[in-house]
Amino acid sequence: MAQAVPANQKWWGGGKSPFNVEYGKLMMWYFLMSDAFTFGAFLISYGTVRFSSNGWPDPNEVFKSFPGMGHANMPLVFVSVMTFILIMSSVTMVLAVGAGHMNDRKSVLKWLAWTIVGGAAFLGCQAWEWAHLHAEGAWWGRNPFHNFDGTEASTNFTNFFFTITGFHGFHVLSGVVINIIMFIMTYRGVFDRRGHYLMIEKAGLYWHFVDLVWVFVFTCFYLF
Amino acid sequence: MSNDALHGHPEVVTTHDAHHDEHHVHHHKETFITKYVFSQDHKMIAKQFLITGMVWAVLGGLMSVLFRLQLGYPDQAFPWLEDILGRWAKGGKISAENYYALVTMHGTVLVFFVLTGGLSGTFANFLIPLQIGARDMASPMMNMLSYWFFFGGSIVMVSSLFVQTGPFSGGWTAYPPLSALGDASPGSKVGMDLWITAMALFVVSSLLGGLNYVSTVLNMRTKGMSMTRMPLTMWALFFTAVLGILSFPVLLSGFILLLFDRHGGTSFYLSDIYIATTQQALPNEGGSAILFQHLFWFLGHPEVYIILLPAMGLSSEIISVNARKPIFGYMAMVGSMFAITILAFLVWAHHMFVTGLNPFLGSVFVLLTLLIAVPSAIKVFNWLTTIWKANIRFTPGMLFALGFVSLFISGGLTGIFLGNSTLDIHLHDTYFVIAHFHIVMGVSAFFGMFAGVYHWFPKMYGRFLNNTLAYIHFWVTLAGAYMIFWPMHYEGLAGMPRRYFDYSNWESFKQFAELNKFISTVAIIVFAVQLLFLFNFFYSIFKGRKVTTMNPWGATTLEWTTPIRPGHGNWVGEIPEVHRWAYDYSKDGRDFIPQTEPIGPNESHH
Amino acid sequence: MAHHETTHTEAHGHGEKKHFDTKPIWRTFWILLIITAIELIVGMFIAPHFHNLKLMFNILYIIFTGAKAFYIIAEFMHLGHEIKNMIMTIAVPALLFIWFIAAFLWDGNSYKNLRNNYDRYHKEATTTPLPKKAEAGHGEHSEHGAEEKPEAVH
Repeated sequence: MAQAVPANQKWWGGGKSPFNVEYGKLMMWYFLMSDAFTFGAFLISYGTVRFSSNGWPDPNEVFKSFPGMGHANMPLVFVSVMTFILIMSSVTMVLAVGAGHMNDRKSVLKWLAWTIVGGAAFLGCQAWEWAHLHAEGAWWGRNPFHNFDGTEASTNFTNFFFTITGFHGFHVLSGVVINIIMFIMTYRGVFDRRGHYLMIEKAGLYWHFVDLVWVFVFTCFYLF
Repeated sequence: MSNDALHGHPEVVTTHDAHHDEHHVHHHKETFITKYVFSQDHKMIAKQFLITGMVWAVLGGLMSVLFRLQLGYPDQAFPWLEDILGRWAKGGKISAENYYALVTMHGTVLVFFVLTGGLSGTFANFLIPLQIGARDMASPMMNMLSYWFFFGGSIVMVSSLFVQTGPFSGGWTAYPPLSALGDASPGSKVGMDLWITAMALFVVSSLLGGLNYVSTVLNMRTKGMSMTRMPLTMWALFFTAVLGILSFPVLLSGFILLLFDRHGGTSFYLSDIYIATTQQALPNEGGSAILFQHLFWFLGHPEVYIILLPAMGLSSEIISVNARKPIFGYMAMVGSMFAITILAFLVWAHHMFVTGLNPFLGSVFVLLTLLIAVPSAIKVFNWLTTIWKANIRFTPGMLFALGFVSLFISGGLTGIFLGNSTLDIHLHDTYFVIAHFHIVMGVSAFFGMFAGVYHWFPKMYGRFLNNTLAYIHFWVTLAGAYMIFWPMHYEGLAGMPRRYFDYSNWESFKQFAELNKFISTVAIIVFAVQLLFLFNFFYSIFKGRKVTTMNPWGATTLEWTTPIRPGHGNWVGEIPEVHRWAYDYSKDGRDFIPQTEPIGPNESHH
Repeated sequence: MAHHETTHTEAHGHGEKKHFDTKPIWRTFWILLIITAIELIVGMFIAPHFHNLKLMFNILYIIFTGAKAFYIIAEFMHLGHEIKNMIMTIAVPALLFIWFIAAFLWDGNSYKNLRNNYDRYHKEATTTPLPKKAEAGHGEHSEHGAEEKPEAVH
């Protein structure tokens, strides 16, 4: 899988990047590493509190609604749709990055636009889910749901849910804003003048990271 | 695929050179603002960090003098205290609440704002581009932002001293529930919010800086400067940055949850609480205060090494230069720093042995903690072997570097005591702990920092510091540090707890009344000597003896190949190429061989 | 994967005509979609019937999550195609999560046991089911949930 490295290349000898990448991409990667520890700490805290509690609500009970379906019992369906939207937007982002490699401005614009739409759609879904839960009486410090075994639940289920999905949603929002900026810069031909679309690649890394985090949030809150 | 755009070249030649040559062109157009305030020159940013750190050090040190007054003279009133502190010291006696505020702020300020921001902020910024041979950091813009976030955090932290309810007073570790409930103490109100805000800004600053340091070291090394040819300072600062990047975000998460507990009605850290002052039982249920301690120490322990590693790196370099000998065991030094970096993330709960941590889990942490003794001992051994039979030049920088080694040994040994969970039952939260960590990471890191300042001051300002003042500074500080903290071990062994306002009510601690007076007196003297250093520093910037040669210490590293007062861009012409490691001292009959000199045909291997 | 690598290096060789291969991207997309679909089916229809096998299902979810994370990082984020040393600078620090997670959860569990052992009131309060009528107070949703649960079988 690793990139083919020409033999007798002295990558570490100085005067060039040992990883064959410009520093910006390196920084983005290490920033994401750092951010992974932020999310990791949140999710691990959630796990720790859950492990130290005698009971916990059943996600299938809490997340069973779907917009416009009334009281139909459809656990996991809506969140799967959200997951699909995010994966799809990741694909369009890769396509935008790929188009950038070919300096194909039109395609970059097209795929970036779809990515932005996907991000906005995800945020819309999240807003609906939050509004729905809020209407059911859930919020920071308020938990209307009971535990699996019918015992009274502490508020930490909703506390963690809103904090972590909120923090993730904040990342999605900033990702959308970054993508909009990229869109405008591409539209204005900034990258054509620069001769490369490496900036799109860094924005792409950030966007995929948001997707990556969602995979873990999905498992931790909706499946476990 | 990602590199398609770059396929023209077999490698990414860091586009940086071109970028900075541009800088060079309009160099002369720099205004006062872009040169001294919003500067993007790594050397200026380093000086900004250093001087901000000095201001903080004075404030933090002054706080310790004030609370030492209380500890040394608990039954005496000092009317002049009321004159300068106002309501903090009504009737000339610091009140209990303000005593705790002083202790808390002393810890926060010195750990984060002086020994993290001031130490690695200064030397990572100053030395990384100079020693690896780069025109500047990878992103000078982010570097500048890093300083200004640090500055912003400083302002917020200082402002918390002036709010009506006082600054946070629950200890620098900010354990909930004290830090989570505004009703718990006056300092837990606005003061705590400002404290968290300041720390969040500090985390951002540290992240911006750290990312820059890491990618600069990896990507911007000059031709021939392979990783294993870098001076040990570079390795140390590199690992420091890695530690910061990976551990500070965890603290940030902990703080965000804490903010929700404070203002969002959540109970992440809270459960079963009754507040005596308001006679109120809180509805919070299900949280765990131990969780915060885990999150805090997941940063807190790496933080110790964020403070120590730069000091180790600076000392290694200075010791080798002034011993005129290659550093002993270069690869072992790198390896042990790497080991320390990894272990730093695995041992955090040794700060929590008696908090209700699972004792069996604690035993695993004991094992991991004691493992740190191995790389630490390797480093000490190598420092000692480097000066073994050396023809030492006792410059002030060298003295402080040797002082660092001495303190690191003394403080490190007591760490082995404290790393044992069974001994910790007796020793936790006593003055033994205070003595341990002040020697091993407080004073010793300060010594590393002083060594660095004395050694690189000629590079920073083109002048020398005054040697006589420097020697006074060194000997008083070294002797004073031991006189302050050595007796604390005895107090701790006798069970004297830390964080108490007044010990005179306890029969068992009355025997220490005179000792406490002694410690306080020495602390005041040592503080005064630091002011002497500050005088030396600022006086020498303007009036110090001028540096006349490019390489006053006869060092091999690249920073001494730049002009005496390098401009933005560091080297006037091409960046020199590197042909050898940084430690060719006393080799083949020569005093030293600079890194830029090609390997001769008849040269012996090191 | 081997196939992909050859096409990739070929692209290197030609250099001149840059072509962006979308095939691996769509393949990754389908893999992610299928894994998510399996998770959905397991979580919706299978797991609710085997409450005592919860741990097994959780392990399954972790494996699925790991697989998805791998594909996102390796393909979408393109890390799999970077130089091996760069992969290591990401992968090695990520290993720190192992002890991070293990120690935290271990101590979380221990805290629960401690409280159950030494705080009788806490144990009683958190393990006694609420009376049925209290549940009705929480509105229609939970009532419906209780009624509809059997229907979820089909």
